[in-house]
Amino acid sequence: MTPVHFSFSSAFILGLMGLTFHRTHLLSALLCLEGMMLSLFIALALWTLQFEMTGFSAAPMLLLAFSACEASAGLALLVATARTHGTDRLQNLNLLQC
Amino acid sequence: MHLTTLILSSSLILVIAILIYPLLTTLNPNPQDQKWAITHVKTSVKAAFLMSLLPLMIFLDQGTETIITNWHWMNTAPFDINISFKFDHYSIIFTPIALYVTWSILEFASWYMHSDPLMNRFFKYLLLFLVAMILLVSANNMFQLFIGWEGVGIMSFLLIGWWYGRADANTAALQAVLYNRVGDIGLIMAMAWLAMNLNSWEIQQIFFLSKNFDMTLPLIGLILAATGKSAQFGLHPWLPSAMEGPTPVSALLHSSTMVVAGIFLLIRLHPLMENNNIALTTCLCLGALTTLFTAACALTQNDIKKIVAFSTSSQLGLMMVTIGLNQPQLAFLHICTHAFFKAMLFLCSGSIIHSLNDEQDIRKMGGLQNLMPMTSTCLTIGSLALTGTPFLAGFFSKDAIIEALNTSHLNAWALILTLIATSFTAVYSFRVVYFVTMGTPRFLPLSPINENNPSVINPIKRLAWGSIIAGLIITSNFLPSKTPIMSMPLTLKLAALLVTIIGLLTALELTAMTNKQFKITPTIPLHHFSNMLGYFPAIIHRLTPKLNLSLGQSIATQLIDQTWFEATGPKGVSSLQVKMAKTVSDAQQGMIKTYLTIFLLTTTIAILLTMI
Repeated sequence: MTPVHFSFSSAFILGLMGLTFHRTHLLSALLCLEGMMLSLFIALALWTLQFEMTGFSAAPMLLLAFSACEASAGLALLVATARTHGTDRLQNLNLLQC
Repeated sequence: MHLTTLILSSSLILVIAILIYPLLTTLNPNPQDQKWAITHVKTSVKAAFLMSLLPLMIFLDQGTETIITNWHWMNTAPFDINISFKFDHYSIIFTPIALYVTWSILEFASWYMHSDPLMNRFFKYLLLFLVAMILLVSANNMFQLFIGWEGVGIMSFLLIGWWYGRADANTAALQAVLYNRVGDIGLIMAMAWLAMNLNSWEIQQIFFLSKNFDMTLPLIGLILAATGKSAQFGLHPWLPSAMEGPTPVSALLHSSTMVVAGIFLLIRLHPLMENNNIALTTCLCLGALTTLFTAACALTQNDIKKIVAFSTSSQLGLMMVTIGLNQPQLAFLHICTHAFFKAMLFLCSGSIIHSLNDEQDIRKMGGLQNLMPMTSTCLTIGSLALTGTPFLAGFFSKDAIIEALNTSHLNAWALILTLIATSFTAVYSFRVVYFVTMGTPRFLPLSPINENNPSVINPIKRLAWGSIIAGLIITSNFLPSKTPIMSMPLTLKLAALLVTIIGLLTALELTAMTNKQFKITPTIPLHHFSNMLGYFPAIIHRLTPKLNLSLGQSIATQLIDQTWFEATGPKGVSSLQVKMAKTVSDAQQGMIKTYLTIFLLTTTIAILLTMI
């Protein structure tokens, strides 16, 4: 595996682990999500260059656009949570727990 | 260049230039002096009239017609539009007549409106109207005609609403604009059809190419335009309401010039209609209906100006009938003779109204024969010319039309209606003359009756001369292009005269009954029908708008607000989502971290398995 491949793959896995093992703040989960998206962006751009498929040149831009939408949706949820629960700490999100 | 055409073309262009010059003097920032209306406008119209006699004489002598194309104005993609004047038989005769009548009316208006502080503006509006009318009758392409058409419509609006402090005047002006607009839809449709199919708006090209096409659709559009502008039945209520404007406006616009614009359009484009039976029948029946309906409405009106307005409408219906008979030249002859006596009737009414201190109700006039001899004499002359008294102006046109109607193979119903309307003409004309000039005075004793001003008398006298001899002059100088049928049974030949005399005798009988009442509470539904104008305005002006507005309100409230926005739109979407979310989230326990950890564990194990 080339160093570049290793770097974005590890960025992705670290982001995923950060998302799953988040402990206190919802915001940190969202940040890890953003990191995953960033690594995917780099991956797509390298894919295009590596295999010289110029048709895929637009794919990273599309990914960026959709990730922006998703990030804004996540932030909206964060704000809504902060409004209703007063904080974004995850131990407060236990309304549905039995 | 040949001298005849040089004189003809240059004098015609000079006529238009003379008329435009006073309008240009209003563009400078210094205010005009008090007498601008008289020194500039009236003299320019008089000069233009004298100038336009020159082309008329040349046309009489040599039969020269001319088309003057000045300037290539614009180019729409398929064709060009030029500024192009067509001075043929119709416009060369009509222009001097219009200028003569306008000259008389302007001189009269300098007396009628002399106490109005905005008299200069009034004259400017009248002059602008005249220029638009001349443009309309001399237009050689539909675009220029449309410019003139819209110009006369807008000036009519401005002039009807001259006394805009009066709510009725504003309503009447708006009514005129709206009804004319409905007619304009027809004109624009015809113009669009011509542009699309015949690829031109030039009249010559339209005449050539129309032989290959079925012209029914543009002709219906043109008939609709004439219905709107010339107040045929269906779009007629604006004409009696237009009497809210000052009397010179009624005399110029709504009797001699503007309202004949619709008929003139049909006359100008008559070669398109010659072979199209649908259009001809429509014109015939519409004209016959109009002439009878408006003559019936005129029978019971009490406002002198409204009676003359309905009389105008009835004569316009007669002109429409003539077009339906395939006789455009007779219709044109009637336009010319009608201009004289109708304008004179309006000027006499104006003189009477001012003399009786703005009294317009004929039930409060009377006995003016001795008090205003010149005016009442000319009123009588005008009424006699209107009813078609032999050898006055109206006789030559009206009798010729009725003869043509009698000897044609056409609709007997239209014939009967027209004859009844002719007898009604005699009745209401006699009614006006009886109530205004005969009997004993019914007005206040201290009325400023004074007709000694030459500005009043000279115009009326000039138009009286016109009403007497114009018919004779025009018919003896211009050859008809269709041979009139000369031999017919005696009854048919005298039909118009007989019917008129019957109407007059009936009216005389009725006047003998004016001081007798046979029933204590008379039941007079027919009188109410006629007095309320056939209930047409009462129904159309109230019911249709109410229905439209209530339909609009129910669309806005029930369809949009309650249905789209609430039941199916955002609120509907949200209510659906909430139900689904509640159902789904019952299954979740909310242990996010546990779920995500298991997800990561599963992914890791899957990757490790593939690597082994």
